[in-house]
Amino acid sequence: MRNNKPKILIVDDEKGFTKLTRLTLPDYEICEENNSARALETARRFKPDLILLDVVMPEADGGDIAAQIRADATLKRVPIIFLTAIVTEKETEKRQLFGGYPFISKPVTPEKLVEEIEKHLAV
Amino acid sequence: MQLEPELIRAEAAVRNSEERYRELIASITDYIYSVRLHHGAVIETSHGPGCLAVTGYQPQEYASDPNLWHRMVHPDDRTAVVANAAQMAEGKVPPTIEHRIFHRDGSIRWIRNQRVPHYSAEGTFAGYDGLVSDVTSRKQAEEALTEANVRLREVLASLTKSHEELKSTQMQLIEAEKLQTIGQLAAGVAHEVKNPLAVLQMGLGYLGRQPDWTAEPTIMVVKEMRDAVNRADAVVGDLLEFAAPKQPELRDRDVEPLIRRSLTLVRHELNAANVRVATNFAGNLPACRLDSNKLKQAFVNIFTNACHAMADGGSLTITTSSSRITESEMNGVARSRSGTRFKPGDAVVLVEIADNGTGIPEDKLSKIFDPYYTTKPTGKGTGLGLTVTKAIIDMHGGCINVRNGVDGGVVVTVILRSRMKDEK
Repeated sequence: MRNNKPKILIVDDEKGFTKLTRLTLPDYEICEENNSARALETARRFKPDLILLDVVMPEADGGDIAAQIRADATLKRVPIIFLTAIVTEKETEKRQLFGGYPFISKPVTPEKLVEEIEKHLAV
Repeated sequence: MQLEPELIRAEAAVRNSEERYRELIASITDYIYSVRLHHGAVIETSHGPGCLAVTGYQPQEYASDPNLWHRMVHPDDRTAVVANAAQMAEGKVPPTIEHRIFHRDGSIRWIRNQRVPHYSAEGTFAGYDGLVSDVTSRKQAEEALTEANVRLREVLASLTKSHEELKSTQMQLIEAEKLQTIGQLAAGVAHEVKNPLAVLQMGLGYLGRQPDWTAEPTIMVVKEMRDAVNRADAVVGDLLEFAAPKQPELRDRDVEPLIRRSLTLVRHELNAANVRVATNFAGNLPACRLDSNKLKQAFVNIFTNACHAMADGGSLTITTSSSRITESEMNGVARSRSGTRFKPGDAVVLVEIADNGTGIPEDKLSKIFDPYYTTKPTGKGTGLGLTVTKAIIDMHGGCINVRNGVDGGVVVTVILRSRMKDEK
């Protein structure tokens, strides 16, 4: 058991997904943000150790948010993992898209998600 | 002094008469001539006055120069004219001849020479009368017509070629547009389906960890639901794979080992359907530039289709060969809507896959490459198999043709561009 739970910000307009991810991963302190327009502001306040970022969202897409985070002095070193519904699992194994950020194809099992989170937290 | 007006009138009358004579001569296009013979030798010729207009020579010039006519004949026509005249001299009436002569003014004229024999009172062949007609205008019109016809044929051939190219381009555009639409549709479907699936997957993950859910049959229920989510995800994944075909990783490969590996992948299905496989491999085929994984997928799809068409057993015959593509093979390929990618003489490897299954209704053949078109019962096919197969063959610059076999069943021909035997 960790003394302090790692803080994960999950930015996704799919409320069911963020809520169930929070419930399913009790070993992390998870902050849900379903409005992508508020993602940067929430990240500055929450100060996450890692950000899970959906790609296609109505207000601002994942690519824009990643660029804002990288430009922010306090957040620029926070690992980002994209979550996307429009690539296949095979592609996530083969290549890194979105400017070199790692990404996970939805749907993802909790086990796979934890594995990826731990891999990038360790870095 | 009184005579002068008379003289002027007389001169005018003479000029007028000469003018009318010239016009008359110019309008003459025919004249007659006569040849008298004795024991086959010409002893006298006489030409009507019209010969001046047609040939430029006076009748008396012909009378005084027996070779004049011969010299006037165009050198290219001389042999035929001499042979024709020789026949006439023997009393055998030759067919009417048309040939060129040089007019006295140097111009070339076409004339038509038609003859009638005449006989002495004793009934012996005594000579012949001929009618020479100037047919230059008609010949020129004929030549112009022939030239126009040739040009017309050239234009028609060019138009036909353009039409074929246009049809091919149109077909490719339609397919490209279709693929673009499918790409957009696939991305939309993927987003709208995979997000709810992600919720379900995460929810099942949560439920699976609850103490109340760790006993049978709940474990089994959760597992079934997870499997269903994974299946749905795989279907969407296939759609995305198809809609966004990646660039193939091309290497020089032998086709035959690749076919054998593809057969291994469907062996279970072939055995279950009691399908016998016969391979007529040419051996020593030239290498082709292939992405082996993608091409294996294409062959697996074709074999699987054949298997489904032979549910009660049958035989699958795979024949390979290499050749230079022929015009008729190209036409066959064009009919398959795959577009013509080859030109006659290109080195190719041909793979023919023949089954003796149920075949495809002729009116359905044109639709078999369309996405989501299937002739199989629900649950047997997704309607993407041949579409994906064609996309794979297309990305290799090859062609695929599907037709019904003469003795039933389906024959699929895959044509792949190969290297020449001596090409490195």
